[in-house]
Amino acid sequence: MSIIYILIPIAMLFVSIAVVIFFGAIKSDQYNDLDREGMNILLDDEPDVSVPKKGTSTHDE
Amino acid sequence: MTQTAQCFHCGEPNPAHTHYQVKINGNNQDLCCPGCQAVAQMIVDNGASSYYQHRSAPANKVEMLLPEELQQLEYYDVDKIQEDYLKKGTQFNEITLSVEGVTCAACAWLIEKQLRRIPGLLFINVNTTLQRIALRWDNKKVKLSQLLKAIQAIGYKAYPFQIDQEELFYKQQTQAYLRRLGLAGLASMQILMFAIALYGDFFSSMEIQFVQYFRWVSFILATPVLLYSAQPFYLNAWRDIKHRTLGMDIPISIALLSAYVASAYATIFAQGDVYFESVSMFTFLLLLGRSLELRARRKASEISNNLLRLLPIMATLLDGEKQILIPAKMLKVGQIFLVKAGERIATDGCIISGASSIEESMLTGESAPIRKKNNSYVYAATVNISSPLTIRVEKTTQDSLINDIIHLQNDAQMHKPHIEILATQVSRYFVGALLIIALLTYISWLFIDADKAFWITLSVLVATCPCALSLATPTALTCATANLNKQGILIKKHHVLETLSAIKHIIFDKTGTLTKGNFKVLQCTTYANAYSKQQCLDISAQIESLSEHPIAQAFHCLQVEKINLNEIQNKPGQGIQARYQNKTLKLGHALFCQIEPPIKSSNLLIYLTLNNQLLAIFELGDELRSSAKKILQYCTQNNIKSTLLSGDISMRSDALVQQLNIDILCKGISPKGKLAYIQKIQRHELVLMVGDGINDAPVLAGAHVSIALSSGTDIAKNSADVILLGSDLSKIIILKDTAQKTVRIIKQNLAWAMLYNLIIVPLAVSGHVLPYIAVLGMSCSSLIVLSNSLRLLKEKH
Repeated sequence: MSIIYILIPIAMLFVSIAVVIFFGAIKSDQYNDLDREGMNILLDDEPDVSVPKKGTSTHDE
Repeated sequence: MTQTAQCFHCGEPNPAHTHYQVKINGNNQDLCCPGCQAVAQMIVDNGASSYYQHRSAPANKVEMLLPEELQQLEYYDVDKIQEDYLKKGTQFNEITLSVEGVTCAACAWLIEKQLRRIPGLLFINVNTTLQRIALRWDNKKVKLSQLLKAIQAIGYKAYPFQIDQEELFYKQQTQAYLRRLGLAGLASMQILMFAIALYGDFFSSMEIQFVQYFRWVSFILATPVLLYSAQPFYLNAWRDIKHRTLGMDIPISIALLSAYVASAYATIFAQGDVYFESVSMFTFLLLLGRSLELRARRKASEISNNLLRLLPIMATLLDGEKQILIPAKMLKVGQIFLVKAGERIATDGCIISGASSIEESMLTGESAPIRKKNNSYVYAATVNISSPLTIRVEKTTQDSLINDIIHLQNDAQMHKPHIEILATQVSRYFVGALLIIALLTYISWLFIDADKAFWITLSVLVATCPCALSLATPTALTCATANLNKQGILIKKHHVLETLSAIKHIIFDKTGTLTKGNFKVLQCTTYANAYSKQQCLDISAQIESLSEHPIAQAFHCLQVEKINLNEIQNKPGQGIQARYQNKTLKLGHALFCQIEPPIKSSNLLIYLTLNNQLLAIFELGDELRSSAKKILQYCTQNNIKSTLLSGDISMRSDALVQQLNIDILCKGISPKGKLAYIQKIQRHELVLMVGDGINDAPVLAGAHVSIALSSGTDIAKNSADVILLGSDLSKIIILKDTAQKTVRIIKQNLAWAMLYNLIIVPLAVSGHVLPYIAVLGMSCSSLIVLSNSLRLLKEKH
């Protein structure tokens, strides 16, 4: 039973880490747009995203 | 290949016999117009065609910008203009834009992808909920207008807009509340876990040292909740005490702090009960209610701010022979500037050459343009319609009439009558009663059993559940506001719904509110058998085809066939003359067409003659909104008084009052007069004002509750409590019904909270309420209140 003297402080440490991360997330405005981020994973999967050339679409021809 | 019925890009029907096609994802797709075609081609060329696979709604129809509008985008690069809405750094500039047509996450991705390929752009984030874009760019490599044009090229319209103080305040507040809420939630979960262990019977066999350990852990976890998360309640309570009023936050603070202190005492000296779990749950639930309420109001304030577009106001300064384009706010008294036809006048001044029709409806409420010539005074924000004018600056933009009106509006806002809302009234009595009961309990128990006195008093404070009572109003208001938001009714102030439910008098503005504010051919009577009605309309439209006058616009949309006309001559202020089949054709006033005697009408009459023979008479007027009739019928049915408060003095107001069955008419009133009028009647009754123009702004700001239409002027939208998107007046009926339903639900909530207290208080006073029963009762009654409020969310109209 005396294991709780170690486990509970560890649990509390985790809780405080969670709080710090949560505060950081709020500060970076992550909660301003809740609809958007979930969709992002579906988009951005094309190979030529970073190529700044015109007319090089893979679907075009 | 057969043509598909709907445009692939925007989903609108494709016109027959058009061939706008783009190859998208391997298939040829039909599009409705060159605009959509250009945008779709651009999207495909940029390798962004997966937009079409992932979007959840069709895009808006693309409207190509006119050259003048493109030109206007470039004005945003002028330094003096940028000062107003740009955050300038040494390395880069920052701006937030409001954007139209962002319907889903795919739109956001598309815009970001499109803009990221522009060199010089450092940061972009598109927010779909708010319909905004945040940009940061290197001013040396790229200009703001280039970024705006790039957004334009894929079919979205982005503009700088006005962020007001209120919005910044809401942003800080919601973030602070979210932090407090998150901390309270995480800590409560832990504390509840230990609390369950402490409640459980198996701990009876446990050594006292473990019980003490759990109490200490709970104490440590509850401390940040009480000291940080619950802060807003203490601050509000302190403010109430300073103002000598009783608010809901006072018993909340007393209950929270005394329970915490008592539990801490119990923990340290190992005697009595601990309430840490109740205290932190209590804080969490309260914060949840408040932050939801704040979020709903923040959203409304953000959407309404998106409507306040900042257009660059430029003026063409005449310096000798040279024409220089400068920002309007830099004009000085005595300088001379040029206003082309169709342009907005930059500041108040005096015409020194030229004559033109000026539209002043937003200032005066008079929908017909006014003829002005040499030495006439013109005002900022009015529109020059027909021909160029040279104007001498009489007043700088800071002193112009429109700025006077803004001052009047700010003044009215400050003196807006304070309205007591139901919940504060109820809570005042409740708080008073509660504090007295707690005090009496303490004193009585001192005589019965002095040891128990403190603990029983505490259980009275905790068990009486200010929680349900304080959730009663915010939850109902939040649900109703969210529901109305969805239907295009933006609520900006929190008192609106409660006040609206009691409104017995609605005041309407005329031009732009009850009417559409533009000219329309209301009636056409023909007098010659050789020409049909449509022929007369075609001829009139053709003769007016070169004119930009609002009267001409009314004819343009009615034209079916083209007519051959020669020698079209414009006679300013009188009419237009042309040759038709070698006869003289005239369209204009009675005098110009030599018709006697002129027929009397409350509308504008335009005559069409051929060789002085009357062909037709057109009756032109400001068209009534179709929803105007509905709302006034509603007023009559529900015994609500209606008033028409109009700025102009024309006969049209009288006709309108008769037609719509309006009770009271006041016409020819200045903005100041309107405000004075409403302040007078507000002493006796609750008033709702509906308006749209600049001249309505002060009265909108001063009324108990005010509604502005989204088609109205920015100043009006800024000062109103409610904004109707889509300008449908029958939404006021929905609003009023929802307001009444909301108040009914608030009353039910309050009644339930009271009933609960009537049951629990005697038990608590007699010392029969154990801590966990108090918590259970509190949570149950909060849940009942919450689910009752949620009914407002489902209401369909």
